Amino acid sequence: MAENESAPAKVTPMGWNELYLKEDWWAIYVGFGIALLCLLAFMNGSTFAKSLAINPGGLKWDSASLGKIADHFSNNIGLYGMQFLFWAIIFGITTRIMGIKTSEFFPAFVILYLLSILAFVIAGWKDSGQWMLEPPIAALLIGLIIANVMPFPKWMDSGFRVEYYIKTGIVLLGATFPINLIISAGPVALFQATVISLATCLTIYFVATKVFGLDKRLGAVIGTGGAVCGVSGSMAIASAVGAKKEYLYTSVTLVVVWALVMVFFIPFVSKELNLHPGIAGAWVGTSEFADAAGFAAASTYGKLAGNEDAAIQGFTLMKVIGRDIWIGIWSFVFALIACLKWEKEECGVRPSAMEIWWRFPKFVLGFFIASLLMTIIATSYSPEDFSKIFKPGVFGPIAGLRTWAFIFCFLSIGLTTRFKDLKSTGWKPFGAFASGVLVNVILGFILSIYVFGDYWMKLGK
Amino acid sequence: MEDKCICCKYFDNRSALIESVFPGLNSLSSAYGSVWAESGICNLHELFLSPWRRCGDFQSNAANSFPEK
Repeated sequence: MAENESAPAKVTPMGWNELYLKEDWWAIYVGFGIALLCLLAFMNGSTFAKSLAINPGGLKWDSASLGKIADHFSNNIGLYGMQFLFWAIIFGITTRIMGIKTSEFFPAFVILYLLSILAFVIAGWKDSGQWMLEPPIAALLIGLIIANVMPFPKWMDSGFRVEYYIKTGIVLLGATFPINLIISAGPVALFQATVISLATCLTIYFVATKVFGLDKRLGAVIGTGGAVCGVSGSMAIASAVGAKKEYLYTSVTLVVVWALVMVFFIPFVSKELNLHPGIAGAWVGTSEFADAAGFAAASTYGKLAGNEDAAIQGFTLMKVIGRDIWIGIWSFVFALIACLKWEKEECGVRPSAMEIWWRFPKFVLGFFIASLLMTIIATSYSPEDFSKIFKPGVFGPIAGLRTWAFIFCFLSIGLTTRFKDLKSTGWKPFGAFASGVLVNVILGFILSIYVFGDYWMKLGK
Repeated sequence: MEDKCICCKYFDNRSALIESVFPGLNSLSSAYGSVWAESGICNLHELFLSPWRRCGDFQSNAANSFPEK
């Protein structure tokens, strides 16, 4: 906490500097750049982008064929070297511009890249599916074990940028996501997300304030943490209502712990019930608390069920489009409530409706625009040419590189989750949050399966 | 603008500091994202605040230097 003790710094509004200081914008630039690279390589008949997306996840090795792994790396060592440099240069330069020290980022990224390869190799084991050791879970477990048994120094968190990697991956996902699916699915996703968000937030808030007598601000912070977008939601609402620092500590702990529980719980139950991956994806999107953890859960189950696209599409529609984009409105509403009702005389200035835009997760714009542009380009191909030529030639490398961005993210979640560092929450906030989890998971299950199940089953076709 | 928290010497919103103050925040979120919207810590009242707020304890930060990097 040494930085806290140093002299307070002069802080000035970012304004347009946000365009190069916030990772949301960089995720858009990097995602668009990669999509363009893949498109240009395809148009020029180059295999560069395909080569860049190489990973060892498809080896299907067993104890009798370990030589496959050695052969794969000895044959492709040059490609892996090029791939490492590609990611290290892109993320190294952009994080430097955002203010992260390269001397801290680079060594951490070397470790992250090597562990990502290990996660892919583990997931490439012939029997990995039986143990749910798909790449996301393998990466998460490797990270969690290291972070809690022999953790890396904290300065290495500079290279474990969970949010930056997942946002980049989401923009890349947009480039392979049909815009017509967003348009047709939007209303259902929004309706389901609104029902679940309101029910979860109100449950947590009511139990926290009326049953346990906790402060309204704490109720609001943990309520939105459970209902909207996890830690980011809590952070936005905490600042909007002027919460005590310890309220954010509490919410971070609750969200991180429950999000990790759900990463394993929802795919496990979905597997036991043999759910359609589109339905499971929608359920994850409804009941998981954070984008990064949700993608891990949805991707894991999608791979297990043999249709990752359906699970990822269901999750994205529910979580990113249905829930995340409303964080600005939640912030504005809570800021108004805090200012006009809870504080009255203390509130120095009335909140601005601009809060909605300031807190809008800008990377979602990248997702929409990438989807729109790629759909327009893809429509110039006949359905047959699209399936045989364009999809494997352009979407294939984009999806391959997206997989890397996601693996960096899942590993980073594990590597930055040191349970002993999390602050204890007390039983009352835990009880309030747990009641919201219960409502959220059950209601999400009912809505995803019994109410809108037919609809979610159409995904991934 | 001049008497809002963002111009106060008690207010600090450096991304690296925010992530170090709240353990676990960077596990599933980030202080470098848009949702953060320049929120920061009031070192006088121990609150987490939006930059547009005001209070009676405002002290200008004009004497300090800008440190975001």
